[in-house]
Amino acid sequence: MAAAADVRDMLDLPAESQPRPHKKQKVVEKRPEGITRELYALLGERAPPIAINENKYKGRPKLLNKLRVRQWRMSPFANGARSDGLVLNHWQRKHEGARQPAPEGTQMDVDVDGTKEEGKEDTKPLEQEYTFAKYNVKAQLPRRYTDDEYSRHLRNNEWTREETDYLMDLVAEYDLRWVLIADRYEYQPRMDSEPEGNAIVPAKTVRTMEHMKARYYFIAATMLAIEHPPSEMSEAEFEWHEKMLKFDPNRERDRKELAALQLNRTADEVREEAMLLEELKRITSNEQSFISERRELYSRLEVPVSVGNTAMYQSSQGLSQLLQTLLQADKSKKRRSILGPDGAVASPAAGQTPTQAGGPVSRGDTPSANAAASATNNNNKKGPAVPPTLPVVRQLTAAEESRYGIQHHERVTAGVQFRSDRAQKLTQAKSNVQTQKLAGALAELEIPVRLFMPTERVCKDFEKLIQSVNVLLEARKVSEKVESEIRVLEASRAERERKAREAAGETTAADPENPEVKTEAEDGTGVLGSTAEAAGSGGEKGEGGDGENAEEAAKDDGNHKRSASVLSAVSDKSNKRQRR
Amino acid sequence: MNPSNPPQAAEYGGDEVSAIVLDPGYSTTRAGFAGEDAPKSVIPTYYGKYNYEGKERLVFGDNMFVQPRAGISVHNPIGKDGIVEDWDMAEKVWEYSFASRLTATKPDNPFHNGLNDISSEELPAEMEVETDEKPLADTPLLMSEPGWNPAKAREKTIEIAMEKWGTPAFYLARNGVLAAFASGKASALVIDIGASNISVTPVHDGMILKRGVQHSPLGGDYISSQIRALFKKNSPQPITITPHYLISSKTAVEAGQPPQANYRTFPADRAPDASYRALQEERTLAEFKECVVQTWPGPNKLSGPGPRESQTKNSLAARRAVFGVDRFRVVESLFDVKAAIPDPDSPVPAPTQAQTLPEVIKASLAGVDVDIRPHLLSNVVVTGASSLVYGFTERLNQELMTLFPGPRVRVSAPGNTSERRFGSWIGGSILASLGTFHQMWISKKEYEEHGANIVEKRCK
Repeated sequence: MAAAADVRDMLDLPAESQPRPHKKQKVVEKRPEGITRELYALLGERAPPIAINENKYKGRPKLLNKLRVRQWRMSPFANGARSDGLVLNHWQRKHEGARQPAPEGTQMDVDVDGTKEEGKEDTKPLEQEYTFAKYNVKAQLPRRYTDDEYSRHLRNNEWTREETDYLMDLVAEYDLRWVLIADRYEYQPRMDSEPEGNAIVPAKTVRTMEHMKARYYFIAATMLAIEHPPSEMSEAEFEWHEKMLKFDPNRERDRKELAALQLNRTADEVREEAMLLEELKRITSNEQSFISERRELYSRLEVPVSVGNTAMYQSSQGLSQLLQTLLQADKSKKRRSILGPDGAVASPAAGQTPTQAGGPVSRGDTPSANAAASATNNNNKKGPAVPPTLPVVRQLTAAEESRYGIQHHERVTAGVQFRSDRAQKLTQAKSNVQTQKLAGALAELEIPVRLFMPTERVCKDFEKLIQSVNVLLEARKVSEKVESEIRVLEASRAERERKAREAAGETTAADPENPEVKTEAEDGTGVLGSTAEAAGSGGEKGEGGDGENAEEAAKDDGNHKRSASVLSAVSDKSNKRQRR
Repeated sequence: MNPSNPPQAAEYGGDEVSAIVLDPGYSTTRAGFAGEDAPKSVIPTYYGKYNYEGKERLVFGDNMFVQPRAGISVHNPIGKDGIVEDWDMAEKVWEYSFASRLTATKPDNPFHNGLNDISSEELPAEMEVETDEKPLADTPLLMSEPGWNPAKAREKTIEIAMEKWGTPAFYLARNGVLAAFASGKASALVIDIGASNISVTPVHDGMILKRGVQHSPLGGDYISSQIRALFKKNSPQPITITPHYLISSKTAVEAGQPPQANYRTFPADRAPDASYRALQEERTLAEFKECVVQTWPGPNKLSGPGPRESQTKNSLAARRAVFGVDRFRVVESLFDVKAAIPDPDSPVPAPTQAQTLPEVIKASLAGVDVDIRPHLLSNVVVTGASSLVYGFTERLNQELMTLFPGPRVRVSAPGNTSERRFGSWIGGSILASLGTFHQMWISKKEYEEHGANIVEKRCK
């Protein structure tokens, strides 16, 4: 910027008080176009606020400069959509092939008559089809009726021939725009044609749009039918024909009345309607959500269609199988409910099927698969022969199951435990006294407290044995109690008889307590008697069924345990009574 | 886009034939070339008449306002209802509107320019024919007319255009249709607030529905009369309107103070006619309308709460006055006849309820088929210079909503001032430059064949 400093010197301006920021120097580099470097340097650091570069005409792009200038000419044209041959002028690009343009004066001429003095120059564009002539389209209208056709088909009391003609003219003129036709319809019957007629029946009757439409459609349909009989009509034509024939002016009028009502509603009605619409929207959306919720519910409860035939359940074997599957399904359901909704949702279909149908599909469920697995495990020899596939599992009979040691557990507890441990547990009663009594009973039967061979069957029988022993012990307890009661009662009776004998001579006035005691005693005996009977019958019944069960139990168990159990139940009752 | 390429013809469907569009109104006459966005020539339809050296002279256009000539009187060839009354003068005014600006000034006849003066007896006879060249000999002419123009007036119009002006092609379009076209609608309810009339024209598919055309005299001039009535009632003393040409100098004064100005006075023999003063006052009132007058926005009645914010105005004869709620009152009677400011002296009769805008619109809609009413209501086009009163369209929208709460009401009014003022001219400009329109012209040949009656058949 030496130049700037020079200028300052020349003009006696003070030197720059502070050094200019370094950054600015960099920015200055850009020099606007159209200014020389020297001049720009003179400007110094402060650019003038006005633009100093003039706007130059850029001219045409270089590429275009090489092209020839395309000429535009005011040229006359005729419109093909016109019938009178009006010639107007417009600007048009000169065609390359055209010869020298005609002198200015002739181009401006408007040639109304269509005769051209200039010659071929202007005839050329004239011969071209005018671009906008193609938009001159008319509505498709039916052929005009002849006099004969009119008198034969189209006569109508309400419409004179003249008015019909007028209508058809209007229709053609306004291209079937009924709003306009009805607006411009101003038919005045000619006074001279029917002097006597129009005095009474002048066309004072205001033709509504519906009247006109009805008349026109009738004519159009009739003309269509004359042209093509309905049997020969194409489908579109037939439809059209039908539509026109079915036009009902009264209905149309009613519709328009309704439309007018709708248009002229008051603000309150509009508001109410808006509110109702809002409500409706709300209801429908609610319904939508309700439907979707219900669908979801149904999909959970879905009832699968049973496909298998029922023949397989007709045998007892089949029935038991069905029972098994139902049980299993029940189990699985219970388990799922424990698992919670997640588990249920995860496999709803699989969960539901067995409960409902118990069909072949159900065997795919987990418990039976487990069973199959246990079958293969328990029976290693048979393992390969019995693949854990469903049909094989299904064929297992009860006998086979027991043979293979297949068991179905009510509830599979977690973890591993010994069968003997379970048996052992049975010998432990709640109280020590009871446990000792149990142990005593087992010792009496010469059964070791710890089973030597705790197979499934042995365990089961052991369980039964323990139960019987328990029952027996209970019965013994009860019988002891009853016996003591009997003894007491007999003692009291003896006492009473003794007293009665003593008081036989004295008053017969009864002791107020006696009847009560007596009834009590009678009650007790009555109950005892009935229970004894029940015990007897129960025992007899039980003997047949339970005989074989008791092979390891005491010989005399059959009768006693049954009756004892019944006795205990009854004595409970009597105990209660006594307490009361 | 390369500017050297012309737009594709199909892009806008335009095809210029350098037609002239003439849109005569009661207050102004607009003329211009088709295809332009505003009329090149806007002149007052009023003309001045005065005597000079014993001969009656006419003065057209804005020239009238330049000098208050002695005894100049102002006339309007068009009647209060928008129909031409004085055909001779209408023709002259219209011709002036395009001949003064649009049609090229032809070089003078060489025989008349003084350079080739020869004695009159030598003048060849056939040359005489050439001299009476028609002003529109090579330009098609599109004219507009109000929707209630009678058939006779239409025939007279085409007669003038064909015989006097010699146009090769002519068309007469309704200004309602043109205003609808200007807003790009083929079907619309056009509300035109002009100077002498407000008119409501239902347009369907580019044609008016005659039974729905309604007009009432509550236009811009009516608003002026209301302002005059307001001024007359002003307290403590009535406001007089002094037009500009009567003020030679003035100094600004505070609002409410008496004006300080030097007035020009004319001796009785040199003074212009009262009608001239009325027209000049009208111009002052136009300024007042532009600056002060406002439409009450509603929805409550105007006769409700107290004065709003005030505005001042100082061009009333160097007067400055404060106008409060009154500036709403002058327009209010367009909507509510009870709000009219009574003025028994005014030549303008008091409005009736049926003349108010809502009633006119209602009557217009009652005249059209019920099926298209909702469509029309959703295409309401507002045009006319008097609709530029501040807040007018909002109020109109409000009124329509109360009238028709059910259907959707949509008022479309161009925000651009010139588009609103020249709405129908712009529509004519669009129409006359469409390629598809050129088949609609009534050519000279057709006119000669069928006579003036053809305008009824063709310009439906």
